[in-house]
Amino acid sequence: MISQIFILSSKGDHLIYKDFRGEESKDSINVFYEMVTALSGDQPPIVMVNSGFLGDLMSGLHFIHARQDGLYWVASTKTNPSPFTIIEFLNRLAALTKDYCGSLSEKSVRMNFALIYELLDEMVDFGYIQTTSTDILKNFIQTEAVSSKPFSLFDLSNVGLFGAETQQSKVAPSVAASRPIMSSRGEQGGKNEIFVDVIARLSVVIGSKGVLMKADIQGEIRIKCFLPTCSEMRIGLNEELSIGKSQLKGYSSAVRVDECRFHQAVKLDEFDTFRILKVCPSQGEQTVMQYQLCDELPCAPPFQLFPSVEKDYVNRSVNLSMVLIFLKLRCDLPPKSTALNVSITVPVPKGSTSMSQELSSPDQTAELQPKNKALLWEIPRFPGGAQLSALFKVDVPGLSSASLLEVGPVSMSFELPKQTCTGLQIRFLRLSPTQTGLSQRWVRYVTHSDSYTIRI
Amino acid sequence: LKVINCCVWDPSGEIFELKAELNSDKKEKKKEAVKKVIASMTVGKDVSALFPDVVNCMQTDNLELKKLVYLYLMNYAKSQPDMAIMAVNTFVKDCEDPNPLIRALAVRTMGCIRVDKITEYLCEPLRKCLKDEDPYVRKTAAVCVAKLHDINAQLVEDQGFLDTLKDLISDSNPMVVANAVAALSEIAESHPNSNLLDLNPQTINKLLTALNECTEWGQIFILDCLANYMPRDDRESQSICERVTPRLSHANSAVVLSAVKVLMKFMEMLPKDLDYYGTLLKKLAPPLVTLLSAEPELQYVALRNINLIVQKRPEILKHEMKVFFVKYNDPIYVKLEKLDIMIRLASQANIAQVLAELKEYATEVDVDFVRKAVRAIGRCAIKVEQSAERCVSTLLDLIQTKVNYVVQEAIVVIKDIFRKYPNKYESVIATLCENLDSLDEPEARAAMIWIVGEYAERIDNADELLESFLEGFHDESTQVQLQLLTAIVKLFLKKPTETQELVQQVLSLATQDSDNPDLRDRGYIYWRLLSTDPVAAKEVVLAEKPLISEETDLIEPTLLEELICHIGTLASVYHKPPSAFVEGSRVHLRIPHTRVSTRPHPHSPLKCCPAPHSALGPAIVQVSTRKVPVILLGSRLWTLSITSAMPASLGGAPAVGGGLGDLFDLGGGVGMPTGSYVAPKTAWLLAMKAKGLEISGTFARRGGIIQMDLSLTNKAMSVMTDFAIQFNRNSFGLAPAGPMQVLTPLSPNQTIDVSLPLSMSGPVMKMEPLNNLQVAVKNNIDVFYFSCQYPLSLLFVEDGKMDRQVFLATWKDIPNDNEAQFQIKDIHLNSDVASNKLQGSNIFTIAKRTVEGQDMLYQSVKLTNGIWVLAEMRIQTGNPNYTLSIKCRAPEVCQFVYQCYELVLKN
Repeated sequence: MISQIFILSSKGDHLIYKDFRGEESKDSINVFYEMVTALSGDQPPIVMVNSGFLGDLMSGLHFIHARQDGLYWVASTKTNPSPFTIIEFLNRLAALTKDYCGSLSEKSVRMNFALIYELLDEMVDFGYIQTTSTDILKNFIQTEAVSSKPFSLFDLSNVGLFGAETQQSKVAPSVAASRPIMSSRGEQGGKNEIFVDVIARLSVVIGSKGVLMKADIQGEIRIKCFLPTCSEMRIGLNEELSIGKSQLKGYSSAVRVDECRFHQAVKLDEFDTFRILKVCPSQGEQTVMQYQLCDELPCAPPFQLFPSVEKDYVNRSVNLSMVLIFLKLRCDLPPKSTALNVSITVPVPKGSTSMSQELSSPDQTAELQPKNKALLWEIPRFPGGAQLSALFKVDVPGLSSASLLEVGPVSMSFELPKQTCTGLQIRFLRLSPTQTGLSQRWVRYVTHSDSYTIRI
Repeated sequence: LKVINCCVWDPSGEIFELKAELNSDKKEKKKEAVKKVIASMTVGKDVSALFPDVVNCMQTDNLELKKLVYLYLMNYAKSQPDMAIMAVNTFVKDCEDPNPLIRALAVRTMGCIRVDKITEYLCEPLRKCLKDEDPYVRKTAAVCVAKLHDINAQLVEDQGFLDTLKDLISDSNPMVVANAVAALSEIAESHPNSNLLDLNPQTINKLLTALNECTEWGQIFILDCLANYMPRDDRESQSICERVTPRLSHANSAVVLSAVKVLMKFMEMLPKDLDYYGTLLKKLAPPLVTLLSAEPELQYVALRNINLIVQKRPEILKHEMKVFFVKYNDPIYVKLEKLDIMIRLASQANIAQVLAELKEYATEVDVDFVRKAVRAIGRCAIKVEQSAERCVSTLLDLIQTKVNYVVQEAIVVIKDIFRKYPNKYESVIATLCENLDSLDEPEARAAMIWIVGEYAERIDNADELLESFLEGFHDESTQVQLQLLTAIVKLFLKKPTETQELVQQVLSLATQDSDNPDLRDRGYIYWRLLSTDPVAAKEVVLAEKPLISEETDLIEPTLLEELICHIGTLASVYHKPPSAFVEGSRVHLRIPHTRVSTRPHPHSPLKCCPAPHSALGPAIVQVSTRKVPVILLGSRLWTLSITSAMPASLGGAPAVGGGLGDLFDLGGGVGMPTGSYVAPKTAWLLAMKAKGLEISGTFARRGGIIQMDLSLTNKAMSVMTDFAIQFNRNSFGLAPAGPMQVLTPLSPNQTIDVSLPLSMSGPVMKMEPLNNLQVAVKNNIDVFYFSCQYPLSLLFVEDGKMDRQVFLATWKDIPNDNEAQFQIKDIHLNSDVASNKLQGSNIFTIAKRTVEGQDMLYQSVKLTNGIWVLAEMRIQTGNPNYTLSIKCRAPEVCQFVYQCYELVLKN
């Protein structure tokens, strides 16, 4: 059972505090903040109050927290509940706050405290979680959101999806999706829009000889719905989509995933034969389908790296040595597509003092980060089929041959807009005919790197 | 006056201003004012002075304003109880409002106002709301019962709310069912013996039906409640599993984990050869893997749980090694957990892959992670013998990097590898010695010193190396000092000629210049050993070491069982039983087993400590536990005990066996006040079933103290040590009163007698048969289970003589259905002798009557748990068969009381 819920800013300011069971005083907030900030680095999400902080006064109190958008979302408890449930709930709370307030920041939480208290009152009673569904909540919520930045048509400028520039005309602006779902009627914001995002996260490990060692794709179809009432929506996926490991492989045209999970509101009666998901979306954001594909990549990995690492002496007599790292990076996407915000991190030997580099174009940057023992190479845009190379000279005094072992593995992060690695596509998006009024439907695809590692 | 008061502590006039706004006529203005008040409240300002003004705003038809006022009330009512009464009328009125939202709001808020005076006003509205036509009101009222119970439990019982709550389990609305279940579960926690949540097949069926219609959070309440149910048989267990399995593909991971808990528990009931069992195992893997794609916080919780599941049922995830590979951008707490699971899953089949990964991790940035990765390589070597060679060479590669903490960590694990595979990898010692100077952590220094001492004969300059450590002896940590002392003594025993000076030096440093008692005493022991009998010294110090076990950090099986029952909860994250961190937590139902196996109980005091990582010289450690008597008694006795290879434990252990031990054997019952009958020892555990350990034993009650007399015999070829014992929970709560005192190692073919005092304070669970006791005994080799039965007379207390009048009344009071009759045959004792004999076992004769040549003895017995047993024994002169009638409120004990009569009278 949840005893208290509070939301803190990154500096520890109290934004929201709600006590459900009267078991503990408000001091617990400060105890929590002291505990998470006392140690550096990432803290596990679950901590127990031990004596020493505020003594035995609060012994047996546990904090469970999640960090979202720079805020601490914290629940405390004195019993033995499921932390899993609570973290999941805190994440939902953050998502709902975002839905209701439009965006998630210290400011928007501060401005909408009355709304958030009202939400919390309906979502949790005496520490028992009641509901997190906007469909149910909308019957109860009275307070209106105060938008920190009133929505205006000017925001619908040409800012592209996920920062991409838009060559094709029909791409929804990324800011369009960040406004409160419950704006009052009559305001321009109450536009009937629905966004369907297909988001894939890619984890890849490529071995030292360019062999693909591990490839996992985790994906989801997410809906963000602004329709005040929505009747059934039909989402058609690729008809040739197959599910499960047992299916025949080598079927080149088939789009395959290992496993998928659906939101409980999704009706699947047409899924088996026609691959159609039927759902009545609630207002706000929800994940209708999650899927994953392990140990297989239907397309080539998006990046191949050809590294070479050498030791070089500037002056052998004084043992002034450096490591030469030559990286050739090829993007194996189709020529029309582009990877964005590509960054490459290469661990370097400890004791590296400085670095000089030769990059192929001026928009790229590279720097040595001695604190992380790594160098960071950033490429804002990387067109498919292109190949870029870079040479880094890292000065390492007193280099030994064993130090070369410390170079690598290379890790990369990037975004691939308009790409799905599995080939999963949305064929159509139909709202049932009874739907009145104009509604706009948007489908967006993006693939992110979750963890992309290349060993040297 | 009030205004003046305000001004005193409100220099800015903020409160004053708010007060004016709250009393404004305009609704909007009022609303804004209450909002401001709440904003101040949130940041911690004291706005309690505004209580009356805010309460005045309560009577409004504006729902938004009403909610805000209620929010304020919940926060301050406790500090202003008298004023809170002012609000009661509005609450009661609101509970009758035509709008269900307002009714629910009122009942919800009233429950949160934790003021005693208000509770009595709450009862009537709550009663109505529990039967409200609107499900939203009913579900809110259900929670309100739990709130009220928390404030005033007696009131809730008196008002009959619990019964209404039970009825709500059958409600048509799943949300109401879920809240009723949650409320009942919580109330039941504080009434361990109540039958509140009476789970029977019918209610289970209702819950399973509600499960399909509930919100995701409601599903969690229901699944958690289901996990407490004990199915009657494997068929029922299977059918519940079948209906829970679809939850595994739920989008909410918390639902998935709760479903996993139910399945893991109920699987225990299924026979392993059932097809369905295999299917279920396969179904569990994908959802567990999917949990790892969630946010890092959730991953962490999932991994802590998977760690338990992998220990319990490794087969579920044995093919999923790859998902536990660490991603470079995982947070450190996720990385460490993944590493742990990787090692648990490591096997011959996947070791190459694992090792390649670990080697990569060893060059990462994060120090803690790198250390753990290096340690993991060592653990792989110990776990998978085929990989040992590769692991060692990987470790050597890592030592070459000269990264300080990597080298130290590597040396610590290599020491373990030496222990596991003696005489195999000593060729690397030279490389290790090169790195001597860079070691600055005590653990690494101690490990290195151990290696030097252990292999002194192969290291040419061992004496120089150890001498170099000796220079800063006083600045070293105790761990290193102890190790250095032992290592130099080992060196001396191996190369006595060159190192005499060194050993003198270390002994005097340890004994004269140190104020650490451990160090001093160990020094004295060596000194005396070396001066009296170098041969014995050699035997002790250079004794064969027991092999180290494969996995040193497994969770003790009993704890694991309990934690499996708590999957998904905080307990599963801390890997501690809830009783360790929740006040007054209820002991949870245990996993049912297909066969009633002899699992020991988690709460008994035994701690199965695996050989600690740093126990470098086990022989020495054991010697030092007896240091005090040795010094007191002088060297003669000391030598004696060494040569007999079985030193007597003179420190007060209850009983010992063998030559010397007999002198001290007080356990035989010679001088005991009452002569209760003690059955001869019977074999409980056979050597062939317990890797050479044979246990026979019996039970005795001596002067009010219950003892378990055990004989442990070692029929194996190697020495047994580290004995410990623990009981499963049993009908009368028998538990060891202290650890089993076997201080000496048990050599092959040796027998030792131990008397273990028992207490009645252990956890209780009814056993079949009633007097069955399941015992686990652990030694350095393994854990063994057996069950035995104790005579009920063990539990007959000394003050079991009932007053005559009471006896008469009680006899009448106990219904005749509870009376049981038995025949005791072939007894040739007259009634007085029989009576005396029985008295010795605490069966007291209260009265005797002789009617027509027939003696009637009326007797009483009291059990340790307060149960009285009344008996009438009829003895006819000349007839060797006695008739025994037993009456007891707990008739199931009669049978066992009769057995005691028979046992006592016949012996």
